[in-house]
Amino acid sequence: MSIKYTIDGVEVIAEPSDTILTSATRAGIEIPTLCFDKRTAIYGACGICLVEVEGVPKLLRACSARPQEGYVVHLHSERVDRARKTALELLLSDHTGDCRGPCKLNCPAMTDCQKYVGEIREGRYKDAVSTVYEAFPLPASIGRVCPHPCEDACRRKMVEEPISIAFLKAFAADKIEADGDPYVVSCEPDTGKRVAIIGGGPAGLTAAYFLRRYGHAVTIFDQQPKMGGMLRYGIPEYRLPKAVLDRVEMINGVKLGRDIQFDELRAEYDAVLLALGAWRSMNMRVPGEDLAGVHGGIDFLERLGLGERPTLGERVAVCGGGNTAMDCCRTAVRLGAKEVYVVYRRTRAEMPAADIEIEEAEEEGVTFKFLTNPIEFYGENGHVTGMKLQVMELGEPDASGRRRPVPVEGATEDIPVDDVLMAIGQGADCAGAVAEELLTQRGTIACDGMTFRTAYDNVFAAGDVTNRGAGIAIQAIAEAQKAALCINNYLEGDEVRAQVPYFVTQEKTPEDFEDEPKQKREKMPGLTPEERRDNFEPIYFGFTEEQAQREASRCLECGCHDYYDCRLIKFANRFSVEPERFAGEMHDREDVPVVSEVIVHDPDKCVLCGLCYRTCDQVVGKTFLGLYNRGFSTVVNPMVPEEARTFCTSCLKCVEACPTGAMRSFPAVERVTQLV
Amino acid sequence: MRLIVGEGSCGLAAGAGAVHTRLQELLAEANPTGVELGITGCNGMCFLEPIVDLYDDEGALHRLVKVQAKDADKIYQAATTGDLSLVDGLRISAEDAEFLDKQTRIALRDCGIIDPESIDDYLAHGGYQAITKILAEGMSQENVIHEIDVAGLRGRGGAGFPTAFKWRAARDAKADETGQKYLICNADEGDPGAFMDRAVIEGDPHSLIEGMLIGAYCIGASEGIVYVRAEYPLAIIRLRKAIEDATARGYLGDNILGSDFSCTLRIKAGAGAFVCGEETALIESLEGKRGMPRLKPPFPAQAGYWLKPSNINNVETYANVAWIIVNGGAAYAAMGTENSRGTKVFALSGKIRRGGLVEVPMGTTLREVIFDIGGGIRNGKEFKAVQLGGPSGGCVPASKLDTIIDYAELSATGAIMGSGGMVVMDESTCMVGMARFFLDFTAKERMLEILSRVVDGKGEEGDIEKLEELCYAIKDGALCGLGQTAPNPVLTTIRYFRDEFEAHIAEHRCPAGECRELITYYIDQDKCVGCTACARQCPVQAISGERKSPHKIDPTLCIKCGNCKTACRFGAVQVR
Repeated sequence: MSIKYTIDGVEVIAEPSDTILTSATRAGIEIPTLCFDKRTAIYGACGICLVEVEGVPKLLRACSARPQEGYVVHLHSERVDRARKTALELLLSDHTGDCRGPCKLNCPAMTDCQKYVGEIREGRYKDAVSTVYEAFPLPASIGRVCPHPCEDACRRKMVEEPISIAFLKAFAADKIEADGDPYVVSCEPDTGKRVAIIGGGPAGLTAAYFLRRYGHAVTIFDQQPKMGGMLRYGIPEYRLPKAVLDRVEMINGVKLGRDIQFDELRAEYDAVLLALGAWRSMNMRVPGEDLAGVHGGIDFLERLGLGERPTLGERVAVCGGGNTAMDCCRTAVRLGAKEVYVVYRRTRAEMPAADIEIEEAEEEGVTFKFLTNPIEFYGENGHVTGMKLQVMELGEPDASGRRRPVPVEGATEDIPVDDVLMAIGQGADCAGAVAEELLTQRGTIACDGMTFRTAYDNVFAAGDVTNRGAGIAIQAIAEAQKAALCINNYLEGDEVRAQVPYFVTQEKTPEDFEDEPKQKREKMPGLTPEERRDNFEPIYFGFTEEQAQREASRCLECGCHDYYDCRLIKFANRFSVEPERFAGEMHDREDVPVVSEVIVHDPDKCVLCGLCYRTCDQVVGKTFLGLYNRGFSTVVNPMVPEEARTFCTSCLKCVEACPTGAMRSFPAVERVTQLV
Repeated sequence: MRLIVGEGSCGLAAGAGAVHTRLQELLAEANPTGVELGITGCNGMCFLEPIVDLYDDEGALHRLVKVQAKDADKIYQAATTGDLSLVDGLRISAEDAEFLDKQTRIALRDCGIIDPESIDDYLAHGGYQAITKILAEGMSQENVIHEIDVAGLRGRGGAGFPTAFKWRAARDAKADETGQKYLICNADEGDPGAFMDRAVIEGDPHSLIEGMLIGAYCIGASEGIVYVRAEYPLAIIRLRKAIEDATARGYLGDNILGSDFSCTLRIKAGAGAFVCGEETALIESLEGKRGMPRLKPPFPAQAGYWLKPSNINNVETYANVAWIIVNGGAAYAAMGTENSRGTKVFALSGKIRRGGLVEVPMGTTLREVIFDIGGGIRNGKEFKAVQLGGPSGGCVPASKLDTIIDYAELSATGAIMGSGGMVVMDESTCMVGMARFFLDFTAKERMLEILSRVVDGKGEEGDIEKLEELCYAIKDGALCGLGQTAPNPVLTTIRYFRDEFEAHIAEHRCPAGECRELITYYIDQDKCVGCTACARQCPVQAISGERKSPHKIDPTLCIKCGNCKTACRFGAVQVR
């Protein structure tokens, strides 16, 4: 005789043998659980499947409670959600590991570096590129220019040096292009919605890519002759990924406020994304800035990108310490300047530019004048001939934590110069382009950090043009990726805000890797300083395939192999956990790592759901595993001494049953297969 | 003359064994006529152990207390010469004698009276009359259960579930083709401060066997198992002997007393996990598995031991059964309150003057038990709270002392009746530390960690609320009865002593002066006479000073063991 009851208003029919969970599952209603598996006896350990039944004082475990005729079951109520959240938070408060590798977590765009590095190791380059495309569509470009925060976080540096993640990405992108096997993006069916994107730089292109994938019609407007923005006109090496931008309408040579009007776009399109970039060189506000020969650094690079070959004098000074300054000084060398100075008011240690850029600039003969700051440009006949530098010293740390440079009283220095390139920062140039009310005091576009929405409902902004201004390309890409999601949500009528995912993370120290065999980072082959200083040829040749695979094999695979299957992290995010509320001692349960020849158990990831040992007992018919100790000390352990562990047949059923990454099989092949 | 030495674990721990040995030697030497030496279990006056009961030739009882081996000669002299004035110095005081007079003993009726190792002694005191009556009169299962129902007997192990209801459920549960049902006794007495089950098994094992026989008869079980914790070796020895003797006399085994009722009993020693006192975890453990609670339903009555219908009660519950059958359920129900009938045994411990076992009718107030019978607080200190029900129970403050002993009334205070542990606390007991002590039995996880950091003065703003939240989450989500009640010690201490938690967190101060991390021992220079007693007791040589001049404690060496404070007879060692 069947029983009728409702779950969240949906009628469910249960047989007498059913629990709430089994009957709900059959009715297509998912009830979250960590410890239930229909092949094993009901256990009721995790406390995640709790439901509230009207008229029943206690919360019931759906995995064990039998429904009764007329039950009115609620999967979500304040009480249920709180209990479920607390249960998850307590589990997570003693769950140690890395859901995702530090490389991915440190990438603003959350690119799955570990995954594509693994795919490159296995020679699956197209898969690797596809992995990058999940985060952004410009692997070849970003692989070359990104200052790679991923590598800064890479734990391999605790062994010797980080993985060459950025170059591996460029390698994979180049390889599939050379093989004539480009990555093809598939898009959702057309939604009929139209989005205008102003600016065809990394942010604009990335947003266009994602919005197109969501099925929206996209038009990109750009003032330059070609798309690419900073990547093309700000950085001297670029390739447009054609596969991405098929079917996106691109209109070049139009400038917002001049050729097209903001209000018209707003009216004509369902949504507008402002990704104008930051194209205005900041002034130094010192006398003599208006002399001829004093140039904005980014203006200089832009002219170069447009195909000009600006002429420079013999002595060129570049002001600033960032990546743009490095691009300027190294370009000046290539344009034939005899003496190139970089004038920077702090020391090398504080320079924001990437180390390798500084090194290579030095190799190319650039002279660095640290702890100096221009206080005056002077000249003859309206053209600069020299600059006066204030000598500085480092004082107390400022808000950013860097020691503040302070002038050494009376100490100045004069250097003769023919040209000056100012690369101390870039600002947005939105005046006249958009409504005043969208702007911040700095002249950038104000938008919400979580929704990327401006003061207008259907106008969003991303990249260098927003709030604090210019950053690195991957930051602009990351913003565009999230902004595209928000725009999509907006167009679909959903809540606009992008979720901030929760991940379990841990700290490691070099001592943790003492036993790891050392393997040097692959050296990128390229031009010598002599070969490269008088031309604009690409200085790197790229990895050979052997090199790429060798480099990729150095990866320590920090991120949990089970991430995509892990129910704990899935629920943690679904129920918006805050495990730090119960933060306390993390229990390092040692001495039980190996279960059998091919199965390893990580007790720090174990949630004691018992599925492994119950599966072994009830499904496989062996009793190889069991629980030892009580409370926080409880561990899953083989029930027999090591020398008698022959009756485990490595059937891996325990590994499959584990709802987290605590049980895993450990030949390398197994790991990667599970990643995909 | 008969000399009966109290030889429960409490008596033996206090030195009864040596007294017995000495008396035996003296008797063996002279072999006097008319003097017998015997043993008995604990009579509940643990605070007076070792106790020797001297019965004169008229059968009058002369109770000698705090007897040491050196007193044995005197007692022997008195017994052999008949000059009882020899032992006047050992006689129980009139005041202490009231301890027993104010009690009503049913479960403990024979404890401290009969020889637990003699089935004949049990029979002589009316033993096995109940089962004999049932079998001889051919009382039906329902008739017996009806008496238990009339008596209003509820489970004495903690939850207070009506015994008759459980028995009927187990009786009505359909057995499989084997027809097997089991009757189980929970003697895994794990609550700190509860020791009545031990006293019953050590002092009157046959009353447990008889109660279990009646239960087995009622549900149709042919096998009974007593799950005794391995920490009770003496109880196991005495129970084993009792089972052997009862089997030899035909009270256990096939066709008991010529009827067609057959039942065997066996003992299973538990290995010490606290949770095994929870009935379903106990069953798992009986089956040889890790002791972990099972989900209910199915209840043990439907699918218990080896998934057969099983009934499980605790020792004290069974110990009441034979009395009820002999005297009638109505006689039992005449005692107590509307919803809590009969008597309940309490184990008094802590800062109480007269620690031991007390059996009183339900409806008695906590004040009567603690002050009238227990004699109040030792050393003239102030009563602060009493912890009832062990790790599932709670702390009841002085303002609630007039609460009557009744399942519902006690629950209303936030504590529970529980198994009957009463741990009495005075002003020098830190309630936060007390909550941690009890929680340590049940939750060695995040909640204990938070509580521990409060005790250590490292608590954070919001920790009290966090503890409360966890308590309610555990109550809501727990699998078993233990889990649902485990937060009680924390919740009640927060409820009644929140200020102490706050002092630990906000001021890093332990108002009771007990939490080691928060206190400093020092010597009052005006009171110290330089007797050196403290310095001699200090295990780490932290105390220095010349003889006859005030001493000092070096706080950098002091491990805060408190030995000095105990050793000082002048109240000079103090805590701040």
